[in-house]
Amino acid sequence: MSQFLQPTILLLREGTDTSQGRAQIVSNINAVQAVADVVKSTLGPRGMDKMIQTGPKVTISNDGATILNLLEVVHPAARVLVDIAKSQDDEVGDGTTSTTLLAAELLKEAKPFIEEGIHPQIVIQGYRKALELALEKLEGFSINISRDAPEEKRDTLLKCAQTALNSKLLANTKQFFSELVVSAVEKLDPNILDRDLIGIKNVTGGSVTDSFLVDGVAFKKTFSYAGFEQQPKRFENPKICLLNLELELKSEKENAEIRIEKPEEYQQIVDAEWALIYEKLDIIVKAGAQIVLSKLPIGDLATQYFADRNIFCAGRVPQEDLLRVQKATGGQIQTTVNGLNPETFGTCGLFEEVQVGAERYNLFKNCPQSRTATIVLRGGAEQFIQEAERSLNDAIMIVRRCFKANKIVAGGGAIELELSRYLRHYARSVTGKTQYIVNSFAKALEVIPRTIAENAGLNSIEIMNKLRQRHAQGGEEGRWYGVDINGASGVCDTHSSFVWEPSLVKRNALCSATEAACAILSIDETVKNPKSDQDTKMKPRGQPGRPPMGMRR
Amino acid sequence: MSLAFDDYGRPYIILRDQGSKKRMKGLEAYKSNILAAKAVANTLSSSLGPKGMDKMLVSPDGDVSVTNDGSIIVEKMEIQHPTAKLLVELSQSQDAEIGDGTTGVVVLAGKLLEQALTLLDKGNHPLKISDGFDRACDVAIKHLETISEEIDIQANEHEALIQAACTALGSKVVSKRKRELGKIAVTAVLDVADLARKDVNLDLIKIQTKTGGSVEDTRLISGILIDKDMSHPQMPKEVKEAKICLLTCPFEPPKPKTKHNINISSAEDYKKLYQQEQQYFVDMVKLVKDSGANIALCQWGFDDEANHLLLQNELPAVRWVSGTDVELIAMATGARIIPRFQEITPEKLGKAGSVKEVQFGTSNERMLVIENCQCTKAVTILIRGGSQMIVDEAKRSIHDAICVIRNLIKDNRIVYGGGSAELACAIQVLQYADEVSSVEQYAIRSFADALEGIPCCLADNCGLNPITSVAQAKSRQLQENNPRIGIDCMELGTTDMKEQRIYETLSSKKQQIQLATQVVKMILKIDDVIAPDDY
Repeated sequence: MSQFLQPTILLLREGTDTSQGRAQIVSNINAVQAVADVVKSTLGPRGMDKMIQTGPKVTISNDGATILNLLEVVHPAARVLVDIAKSQDDEVGDGTTSTTLLAAELLKEAKPFIEEGIHPQIVIQGYRKALELALEKLEGFSINISRDAPEEKRDTLLKCAQTALNSKLLANTKQFFSELVVSAVEKLDPNILDRDLIGIKNVTGGSVTDSFLVDGVAFKKTFSYAGFEQQPKRFENPKICLLNLELELKSEKENAEIRIEKPEEYQQIVDAEWALIYEKLDIIVKAGAQIVLSKLPIGDLATQYFADRNIFCAGRVPQEDLLRVQKATGGQIQTTVNGLNPETFGTCGLFEEVQVGAERYNLFKNCPQSRTATIVLRGGAEQFIQEAERSLNDAIMIVRRCFKANKIVAGGGAIELELSRYLRHYARSVTGKTQYIVNSFAKALEVIPRTIAENAGLNSIEIMNKLRQRHAQGGEEGRWYGVDINGASGVCDTHSSFVWEPSLVKRNALCSATEAACAILSIDETVKNPKSDQDTKMKPRGQPGRPPMGMRR
Repeated sequence: MSLAFDDYGRPYIILRDQGSKKRMKGLEAYKSNILAAKAVANTLSSSLGPKGMDKMLVSPDGDVSVTNDGSIIVEKMEIQHPTAKLLVELSQSQDAEIGDGTTGVVVLAGKLLEQALTLLDKGNHPLKISDGFDRACDVAIKHLETISEEIDIQANEHEALIQAACTALGSKVVSKRKRELGKIAVTAVLDVADLARKDVNLDLIKIQTKTGGSVEDTRLISGILIDKDMSHPQMPKEVKEAKICLLTCPFEPPKPKTKHNINISSAEDYKKLYQQEQQYFVDMVKLVKDSGANIALCQWGFDDEANHLLLQNELPAVRWVSGTDVELIAMATGARIIPRFQEITPEKLGKAGSVKEVQFGTSNERMLVIENCQCTKAVTILIRGGSQMIVDEAKRSIHDAICVIRNLIKDNRIVYGGGSAELACAIQVLQYADEVSSVEQYAIRSFADALEGIPCCLADNCGLNPITSVAQAKSRQLQENNPRIGIDCMELGTTDMKEQRIYETLSSKKQQIQLATQVVKMILKIDDVIAPDDY
């Protein structure tokens, strides 16, 4: 009888882990939830920070994307969350925590449907439909600021920056920093708004409010040779020569060899080498440069040569700083000094070397084509400054987006609640299963105000009821009610209390959260290959391919 | 740190190396962080004040250092705990910005955390606590500004500066000689200070140490001291009206940088080569001599041949002078650094009143003193002391004193020390607390308590009864409305710090309070710690 049995078909390699079906979807949802729980407490102005130690490095952060990245998530479904947080970070720069939370909440709401046997595709369709409606409505709700007068617009930008900074360590100095951030973004070319042109430099020491904005470029004094201190440290309207050239007495070609037949020729070779470097220096001086910056080292000889001629020089300037100087001063980086043209020199209003904390900084101020700005951040501890830098980065991105998109909505959970109200209302007009699903989408949106309230130590159920009631009353007044973390009642009109966010942030967050939720819902099978054999076996045995004599180091 | 379980109770593997990671959340995280940071602060608290004790620290290499300087202690303790490290950085950032008060800032942060812990136990929201601290900090800073006094740094031969330096030196091992050292520090800073711009470049003050002698022998040299001697023992030990030639090329035949080979095929050629080399030396010495220089300082070494020739030509020379010294000498004497012999011209020489070789004690160690330089924009403080440890500690103390004086030149407002400023702020903050209606009130009150912790700690270190003396000082401040009443650490019979002349700079005190609050706020904001298991 046995010969008639079906032979076992080995489809997958031994050790491969497969799981499928409904249970798999539920299990994925659980995993996602667990990850979202980690970042949950960072949301909102009363959000807390996480301290993550990876090796010797310690990071203290409130930024969702940073935390998820450092957690080193390996679960395949949960990784989707990390990816959407990252994409939100790249695209908008802020709102990473809310995106993650929203995705997790959408999945949580979908879980009962899956367990009850509704086909995942129906849930997905329902979510897509709800998203479409929500986006449409979001567009309708958002307030256009492009027609406002410049001062009003600036005011709006300040408000948006402050909202972004609310949840960060810098919350208490948000007025100060929002001013800094908006001024920095205003310096940029309004058509491109290249983020790379805003430099952030960290100097430990001092108080955070000692931070300042340089309308130009600032970088740390580079390594200098003897003679540097004799150079002038202040210029007005200098001519700045930017080089990618090593100015040092050295052999021109690697591995070249000279064969000298007569002792007299010896001096000639020596002189020739000196002549080479002097020629280069002479060209620079003759062209009238007053500041020489190079990406490559400027040696002691050149330093002293320039010092004698009242020229300032700095070698080993980091690439990004040099590029920023180029943009700011309108100069061009030269790779050779042959035929050096004074037209390639840049200029700025004022150059100065100043002491900032324990460091000396080179500042290029009042640049004519000031399309760049540098923020010098001060603060007590290294981690503090790093977190401040991340926060400022978020604020800069928000202001940039706001500048471009010109549309804002009110934060504090107000917009989510309004969308939720609308979707609930809409759901009543639908027949069939979609009704349930649109309803749960609406419910999932409430996670944002609820978490904000919870994190602030408020009674979230009470607050949610108050908010729902306000929104249900409808009209212009109820629309912008959100969570108020300061007042006694717990709710307020967040639009009039200036908690503003660019609508683009919300738009992107809704889209990517829904996409992520749909993606996870549509996975019904995971095939996990065992770790490749070589990886595991190589380690204990060393490298088997090699003959034993390879042991010698 | 298993985060989730599936329906069968099996944990998910969500994070890499999940098993070996540890996670602390909520109250547990706050407490662990606060306790770690407090431990650091407690270590330092016995070093605070004029009667503060020193710590002996042994490095992994067995080097021993004895110090009272907060930032050095925490740096050498090699702290691993991430939160405790924040306090280390706190101390260092005070050091970088102000240079003094590094112990006080850590102690204050520790006291604040201690208060925060009690508040947390009572169930306050950590961010409410940090909000309260922040508001209290603003009040304290404002009050500091109102009680600060402007001093005239010029009056009475810079008496005020000397007093401030003495306060900074008072807590150190050299406190016996604080007046002398204070004077030295003040003179040094004033020599290099640009009073019009209120700027002091500390790079221009060189602090040189030499073991031997006693701390009293410490002196200020209005010039530069380098730890080198003349290249040949028979060279003159002193050059008056020196014209210094600063060279960055060796007294050697020049070498091309390109790899080279000399092929000698005949004896004649060899002779020629030899002669040419000899000629180089002669030419070099001649070039230096012709320029009118009567002493040559060289960044590199030179051949014995050259040494001999230099002696014959009566040209004293010094070799292996370090790059930073070369730069300092150039600044002080107005010399230009000369990269090769062909470029020596009389204009490039630096001028100094005298270059002298001095010898210390019985040891055969000599140093060169370059004095009465053309532009005396650089000074050296030569520190002497019985042992390396004392010398090192004295160096750090003088550095602190110099920083204090620099800060006073920048901003001439002072507050009085001995804990009086903290007490005055505490009283003000307490008053403010009563005006606040929300929960922050408690945090603000605790902030005042933490500020009182500083005079308490001072009194404790001086062997006084902390509670009685602080209470007395506080009641007198209130009764007499005099913010200058502090702790009489030196037992001089008065608690008025103006009479005791304990001066501290306003900028240092402000910075201390601000930085400590900032770090405490940061620690209070962490509710979740994810770390490897051995954390």
